[in-house]
Amino acid sequence: MNRLANIIRALSPNCKEAVRLQSEALDHPLTGLQRIGLRIHLALCVWCARYGKQIKFLRAAAKQCDHDHTPGQSLSAAARARIKNRLQNGKD
Amino acid sequence: MQAENEFTDHPKPPGLSDPDQWVDLYGDYLFKYALARLRDPAKAEDAVQETFLAALKGGKSFGGRSAEKSWLVGILKNKIFDYYRKASREMSFTDLDFYAGEESDRFVADGPGQGGWIHELGPQEWASAGESLDNELFWQTYRDCSGKLPENVAAVFNLREVEGVASKDICRLLNISDGNLWVMLHRARMALRRCLETNWFAKR
Repeated sequence: MNRLANIIRALSPNCKEAVRLQSEALDHPLTGLQRIGLRIHLALCVWCARYGKQIKFLRAAAKQCDHDHTPGQSLSAAARARIKNRLQNGKD
Repeated sequence: MQAENEFTDHPKPPGLSDPDQWVDLYGDYLFKYALARLRDPAKAEDAVQETFLAALKGGKSFGGRSAEKSWLVGILKNKIFDYYRKASREMSFTDLDFYAGEESDRFVADGPGQGGWIHELGPQEWASAGESLDNELFWQTYRDCSGKLPENVAAVFNLREVEGVASKDICRLLNISDGNLWVMLHRARMALRRCLETNWFAKR
């Protein structure tokens, strides 16, 4: 029993490592061993489990922010005129 | 990412509007798109101008099916990638200073339980997070929080999370190592999560 506990302890990351691993899992595949260790930790740690859900939420928010929620800063009148002018010249 | 040949990659849809109208029709939209990514109005204006010019040059009709706006956005995206590629030759996109502590004051420093969250300081439950996405005040908070990311970290975060560019392509584009990329992304997420929790979710 002690030996098993030691193996589990060796396999699973602590919270600081677990949050880093969850972040990296969003960017590249983890190794099989990393995944197993992380799963064990997440089953036992409600804070790290929340962290993982929350950074996934951030990803969804980042995508949606771009589509609907950037505030209206428009082209200045000067820039607009300049670009139109440049396009006219570009056509010749 | 493939080599940019914007004319085969972006066949011009048939029946396009007159280029004279493009600036009025699409200028603001393209500008906002570029500004969100380049964070500098002058650079964003240049990118929009370059986009229209490139679109003008590709004036032959290839009979493509993509909508006019998406076609222009596609060209703009490539212009933005070009900007990043050029910038990475003149400056380093690596930023290992931002959030370097990685909230170590919220983890047990030593002894048993070392590296574990200090209980009261760990991530809180975010009640009905999904509903926040319908709230304009949330988006204001989100923009404030992501605005706090320093420029290079923000660029990397945008490329990965908004554009969905793969890690190895970001590394190639910006000439940074994958290890450094992942560290920057981890810290950006940590900082953003903390900011949103403090300024939004903790107050619900």
